[in-house]
Formats: sequence, C-alpha cells, structure tokens
Amino acid sequence: MKKILNGNEAFAYGALAAGIDFYAGYPITPSTDVYEFFEKYANDYGVKFVHASSEVSAINMIMGASIAGARALTVTSGCGFSLMQEAISYMAGDFVPSVILNVMREGAGLGDIPRSQGDYNQMTKGGGNGDYHSIVLACTTILDCITYPKIAFELSEKYRNPVIITYDSDIAHTKEIVEVHSQNKNNIDKLSYTLTGNKNNNPKRIQNIYYHDKDFNETLKNKYELIEKNEQRYESYFAEDAEIVLVAFSICARICVDVVKRARANGVKVGLIIPITLYPFPKKAFETLTNCKKIVVVELNILKQMRADVEYFTKFKYEYYSINSMSTCPTVLDILSFIEEIK
Amino acid sequence: MYDMLCAGCGHRTAMMMLDEIIKEKKLKEKTILALDVACCSLLIDYVDYDAIMCAHGRVLDVTKGYKIMRQENIVISYMGDGAGYSIGMEEMVHSARRNDDVLAIIINNGLYSMTGGQVAPTNVGTKLCDSPSNGNIGLKIENIISSFPISYLARAALTDKENIDIAKKYIEVAFDKYMKHGGFNLVELLSPCPTNYKLKPIEMVDVINNEWTKVYKIGEFVNNV
Repeated sequence: MKKILNGNEAFAYGALAAGIDFYAGYPITPSTDVYEFFEKYANDYGVKFVHASSEVSAINMIMGASIAGARALTVTSGCGFSLMQEAISYMAGDFVPSVILNVMREGAGLGDIPRSQGDYNQMTKGGGNGDYHSIVLACTTILDCITYPKIAFELSEKYRNPVIITYDSDIAHTKEIVEVHSQNKNNIDKLSYTLTGNKNNNPKRIQNIYYHDKDFNETLKNKYELIEKNEQRYESYFAEDAEIVLVAFSICARICVDVVKRARANGVKVGLIIPITLYPFPKKAFETLTNCKKIVVVELNILKQMRADVEYFTKFKYEYYSINSMSTCPTVLDILSFIEEIK
Repeated sequence: MYDMLCAGCGHRTAMMMLDEIIKEKKLKEKTILALDVACCSLLIDYVDYDAIMCAHGRVLDVTKGYKIMRQENIVISYMGDGAGYSIGMEEMVHSARRNDDVLAIIINNGLYSMTGGQVAPTNVGTKLCDSPSNGNIGLKIENIISSFPISYLARAALTDKENIDIAKKYIEVAFDKYMKHGGFNLVELLSPCPTNYKLKPIEMVDVINNEWTKVYKIGEFVNNV
C-alpha cells in the first residue's frame, strides 16, 4: 500500500514490518512522532508498549525484552540518547541485540531541534563507557526509514550488538510517497541465546564481567573485527571517475545528489559517496576511486566530525575540504560555487 | 570455584533461602535471576538457573521488559539497598505505581559494600558515617510505595534463627502471590555486613536486632489479595 509519510511515521511502519514486539520510550522532539504512533496503535498491532519513566528506564526495558527474545525498540533524540549510553554499553558487552533510533538534535546540552548531525562521534565511537561500538545506519530517504529497521534487527541479532539508526530532523519531517509493507510477526523463540529458564541443565548468563574467564575481551574484539570486515555499506553516486568526491549522509546527501547532477551537466566530474553504515565506516567505498584528487565532506556539525574519519580511513592521501554548518543546510548553489572555487 | 562472599554476609543466607524455595517448588526451569551489580552480582556463579547481571539500579526495568514478553517465567529481581532505594528509586516508584509483576528481594545493609562501606541513604547508624551523619533517619520504603496498589510489602532481618524463619516465611508468601496473581511483591531483608562495619558477625547481628529494627520495623506492611 502506498502512503504519504514523513521519516518518523515511515520508521514506525518499517519497525512493524521488521516484526517488533515491544516498544518502550519517552517523548523527545524531533523523534516524538514514532512514540505517538506506537502510543496510539500499539494495541491494534499487538505490540507491547510501555510509557517509560525516563530514557534510562526505556533502554533497560528494551534490554530485558531483548533478553527474552523480543525485537524491542526505543526511539529518542539528543539528551535522551545520552541517557541511554550506559545500557547501550552494557548490551554491547552482554551480547544483547537491540535497535535504537536517534533522531539527531542540534548543539551540545539541550541544544535545539533543527537539523543536525552532531551526534556522529557519539554514535560511531561508542558513546558509553568502555571498549565497544554500536553499528550505525544512516537514513537518507524516507524509503530508507522503512527498510532499515529490518536490516538493523537482523544485524543486531547476527552480531549480538546494539544497532543505532539515525537521521536528522529534515528526514524526520520530510514527506514522501512510499510503499508500506505489511506487519510481520517475530518468533521470540528463534534465537539460541534467549533466556528461557534452565531447561537442560545448561544455565545461560547475560553478563559482561566474567570472574573466571580471561578470554572474554578477545571475544569482544573479534566481534568488532568481523563487523568491520563484513558490514561496510555505502552508496556510490558517479564517484568512480570523479575528480572531486563529496561525502555526505542524510539530508546533506540528498542535496549533494543534485549538486552532482548539475556539476556533471556543466562538465565538472563530481561524485558522491553516501555512507550507509557510519560504523563500520565504509572505507571500501574509497578503494574504488580511480580519479579522485579532492574530497569535500558535507556535514551538519561545527567540529567536522565525519571529516576526521574520512581523512583517517583514506590515509590522508587526498586534499580535504569541509562544508559544514549548524541548523541551516548549505544549498545546492552554495556547494556548486564552492566546487567552482576549488576545482 | 572459590567462595567470594565474606564471612557473615547476608547474601549467602538470602540466596540459600531463595534456592530452597525454588527447589522445593520445582521452579528451576522457569526461573530467571535478575541481579544488580557489586556484591549481588557475585551470586551469578552460585546458582544454576538462567541469570542476568543488570546495570546498577536497573533491575526492575530489565525485569519489566523480560516479564512482559515471557509471562510464564519467574523473574527474581535481586538487588541491594543502593540499587533499590538510591540510584534505582525512580524505577522502584514507577514499577510500584504500575503494579508490575515483580518479585523483588532487597538486601538492605545501609552501605555500599563492594566499594568499601560508604554510607547509603538507608544507613541509620552514625558510627561509620562521614557524610550525612547526624539525624540520618534512613529510608523507609513502606512510607514511599504503600500508597500504590501493590500486592505485597514486608521486611525481615537476616540475623538469628527466629528472624531468618520469619524472612523465609515472607519470601514464601511473596512467591505464592507472585505465582498466583502477579503484581508488585517486595521483601526487604536487613542484612549483616560485618566486613564493612568492622564487627564480628555475632556483634553485627546484635546491632541489627537492637538498633536497626527500631527504625526499620520488621513485619508485613502491605498484603493485598
């Protein structure tokens, strides 16, 4: 069925198609649409819904439900996401799957609600305490918001690690016509590591401190090596032969698609790489570049957070430029004139 | 494996009682033990049922998430007073407000024991207090959550045989209620920590029986059907 949906609504339908069983959350703009959707319709769809008393509560309920084999989801933004970091770190160490949507807010602290990509470092580098990463998927279109929840649940169950889906408030509130898939039901008994009670004298444990096991950290390390090897995802748009390659995700990527089209029409060889997984960073995407001399990272934060990753993973071998701003997006013409200057 | 609990520790008594009840009722295959961090978490290597080591103070949230998905299982939420009444008070109050299906055991010794005996909000003595000492009146959970429509709330002490028998009786009542109709069931156990109070185990028992029980009354406070 086709519907006109904004990113948040589309995400809610995507979560239903992915077979979620349980939702716990606390409202925070700009992610509240998802919370409202489940508050209204959870009963109709047979999803268990809890008004958590805080984000801390919500994420720990997600953890409990995941341990019971459920596909559990929570949705948040900005400061709410910060409150969840302890439990996300726990789940990474406990090998518990979970999916969290973070619709980014602008600035530090409370910040504000316009478009932003300032949580890049927090999401990709860990965010909580200790040695871990969350897998991070960035949505660029409303269709992504529908399809990524399923991918996210599959990845999190495969690697037993939290997966964060993210986009900015422009994607959250942009409406597009999208195909909505019907709801799927999850089988809570399908995973071997689900706690069901000790039925065959083999007690299972969910813990991240092993008083008698020294190999645990090695297991943790192997998990991330495997993720980095297997799960780099990206979209390459006329990048292979481009002399100037733009790197952007979410709303910036959508603007850059237009930039590439117009620049190519004027005979300037511009390409675009859209990272789908922010962690693991898709460094494979840059290995296919044959003609690239300059890289322009377009992002919505003042500290050029993604640029640091781009420089590091491309081994500092190109010339690097940034177009970055807070709360207002660069326009297509802004980026075109920037390219005109540096080409 | 070696014994990691101190001599005279209340956790041993509490866990043995729980284990007895679980084995008596043949519930091993259905039981999930949700533990808090620190001394509670040591118990994970003592038991032979499925167990979760939760983040500090989040046992009741994890319990809620688990129980809502698997109604048929029994989740024992086992935590100390720091987790229950300090860092986890928000969860405690809201879990009680919702009358969640909870079987909570709170080991109350008035201290943060694993970190070396710092004073907890539940502390009533002043001997060891270097923070809020004078007029420290403790934290009585019955005054806080008994206004909610919870199922059962009781307090016992893990000191001498008489008190331990009472404790076991209360835990059995809580178990029965939890099995029969669910709801929020909490048993608080005043528990000795001789190591951190720097007392002999037998002296610690006297302190609890003579001093603590004046503030923390033994008995059943809520017993709804």
